[in-house]
Amino acid sequence: MESRVWNWTAGWGQSTRCSRAANYARMAAVKISTEPDPPPIVRILATTLRRAAEHRQIARTLGGMRGVAALRSSTDPQCATMRFDRGTIVVDRGVADDVMVVIATDLATMNDPNPPKPQVSGALRHPAFALALAKVLAPPNDTWSDGAQRFWTATATHPGMPPAIEIVDTDTGERLLLGGGEPRVEVHGATHWLTVLFSGNSILGEEILAGRIRFVGALEHLAVLTGRTIAGMLDGASES
Amino acid sequence: MYPRTHPIAVDDVEAWLDAHAITWVRTDGITVDGLVVGKHLHRAKFLNALPAGNAISEIVYGMDLGGAAHFSWWPRWRRDALGDFVQRPDLSTLRAVPGRAGVASVMVEHHDLEGAPIPVCPRACLRSVIDQVSAAGYRVLAAFELEGMLFADPLPVARRKGFRNLTPMSHPAPIGYSNFNAAQLAPFFDQLLPRLDALGIAIEGWHDEAAPGQFELNFAPTDALTAADSIVRTKQAIRELCLDLGHTATFMAKPSDAYGNGLHVHHSLRAIEDGTPVLLDDDGDMSALMRHWLGGIVATMPAATSILLPTINSYRRLVGWAAAPTTATWAEDNKSTGVRVLTRSPSSARIEHRLAGGDANPYLVLATVLAGGLAGLTDGDAPPPALTVSGWGLPDGWPHLPSAIRPASDLLERDARLRTYLGDDLVDHWVESRKWEWLMFHTTGGDPTAATVTDWELARSFELA
Repeated sequence: MESRVWNWTAGWGQSTRCSRAANYARMAAVKISTEPDPPPIVRILATTLRRAAEHRQIARTLGGMRGVAALRSSTDPQCATMRFDRGTIVVDRGVADDVMVVIATDLATMNDPNPPKPQVSGALRHPAFALALAKVLAPPNDTWSDGAQRFWTATATHPGMPPAIEIVDTDTGERLLLGGGEPRVEVHGATHWLTVLFSGNSILGEEILAGRIRFVGALEHLAVLTGRTIAGMLDGASES
Repeated sequence: MYPRTHPIAVDDVEAWLDAHAITWVRTDGITVDGLVVGKHLHRAKFLNALPAGNAISEIVYGMDLGGAAHFSWWPRWRRDALGDFVQRPDLSTLRAVPGRAGVASVMVEHHDLEGAPIPVCPRACLRSVIDQVSAAGYRVLAAFELEGMLFADPLPVARRKGFRNLTPMSHPAPIGYSNFNAAQLAPFFDQLLPRLDALGIAIEGWHDEAAPGQFELNFAPTDALTAADSIVRTKQAIRELCLDLGHTATFMAKPSDAYGNGLHVHHSLRAIEDGTPVLLDDDGDMSALMRHWLGGIVATMPAATSILLPTINSYRRLVGWAAAPTTATWAEDNKSTGVRVLTRSPSSARIEHRLAGGDANPYLVLATVLAGGLAGLTDGDAPPPALTVSGWGLPDGWPHLPSAIRPASDLLERDARLRTYLGDDLVDHWVESRKWEWLMFHTTGGDPTAATVTDWELARSFELA
């Protein structure tokens, strides 16, 4: 079981390899819904699964899965149940009584370079389902630059966004300028943390408070960018 | 004699401070979350800054009740580097603080450095809505009913206990209006009521309510701004007296499974020119004005819910058969409806809005209710038929109110009519702050599957709501 279950942006890198129409065609075979007024963990999981469904292989896996699984935080009450029924997936709050596989993980550390392994129960009784679950919850990551491009495309016109962002990879020295004009804000970080951020797995403000990302710019832009990373994490870049 | 306002000219403030032996002036401003914020200012500093008022960091509007910075949006009125704004004092509210020799308090509104009101300042927002009612030709008379709970435990003890298993200051059975219970609360009120009187707050009555340690205070009708000020000052006075006596109070909407704390508000309209009551016509029936006004209030009630029920905890109070309304309905003297209308006589005819929780911001409550009335008046709303059955336990298909913080804020976000009178800045800021509250609950330890109040809610709201 891979630990990075929040990767909702796996399709970002695929956008240049397959047409949007083809993506929609695959996604059409997979229907993902949530309860009304879903809590964050439900929204994040549903977004993860929607992004996973943009991958041909993963969409095929999703289309064939039948079973009930739960994800629960090992450190706080957040938990959600996923019901898979041959392409129809419903995500709800709580852990249902009939779950077959339960994944317990520390949501705060799962983005670490070497995160603790999640605890998985029920995998021995339902090995095929557990394997499929691991696959659909951990779609491959984008590069940070692809992720940042997609983030910018989705958010650039949002009120309060800066006209330009320059992203600096402190491991490689690579720079990426998105947009144009002044004032330009700068986001600096190691490859790993930039990848986490721009694949929708973390929140800008929290990363800055943790010292993993550095920022040059106005508070106004930091706040708005943080809000857009929250929106992206909850509902995907298209909702930003 | 109500209202008990006594305007003081700037030039007379120093003499007033002298006459009351005041050395320190505490500024009382209200944030969007309803937190009372301000400074204790030496009288020289206070006097020097008149009439504009002294500075305070704008961060007071940028923090949630848990102390986290709202950091996912940026309203246009904010300055970039967490600068200051000013606390413009309303000198008519200058009062000596009872029980604190040498200290006065004054209600303030928050203005930018150019002197314009911060568009999300709740007191300024209410003042703006009052002005809009005045422009329509009417004066508002308003009176709140404040419910709260008193516990014998000192605050440090209550904190150590996580605000659970406290000792109520009255009998724990759910029996309201018990004079035996009132006798147990009376020693507290014997000290509280003179303090309120000294603050110029007119109380018509108080009684025991149905939850353990619960009371209700009934305020005399007064102008809308004073009515809201009185709630803020009364809560502060109760908290201060609790500190003095070693007790604890809360106004959070639902601190336990017992009955919750409400903040009902009554209001009526008078003609500006002569003070004539205008809700009834000559035959004693509802006037056309009242029908439009009431229609607007009922129609906007679902969207208004977000402001009247501000917290995650607020919605726990919204259950049937527990005294709080659950539907956007009205009726004559029916306490199960969202709006209770009383039309017994022209002078006492009024509208009681029963939705707000004890944790609601009184300025925004009144502003929102009046905004609904203005919307109905402007658009010629007609009220739906009066409810002729109980408002509780109704099946689907009835106008149920939103039952959680996000659906409620979504409704407010889309309500163009309330936006017209409250302003886009306030509504947008409010909606973003409710999204933030929702996010904090779910991601910082709140349990969305809990059937009863959580530790997260108690830690956040018990002392501060």
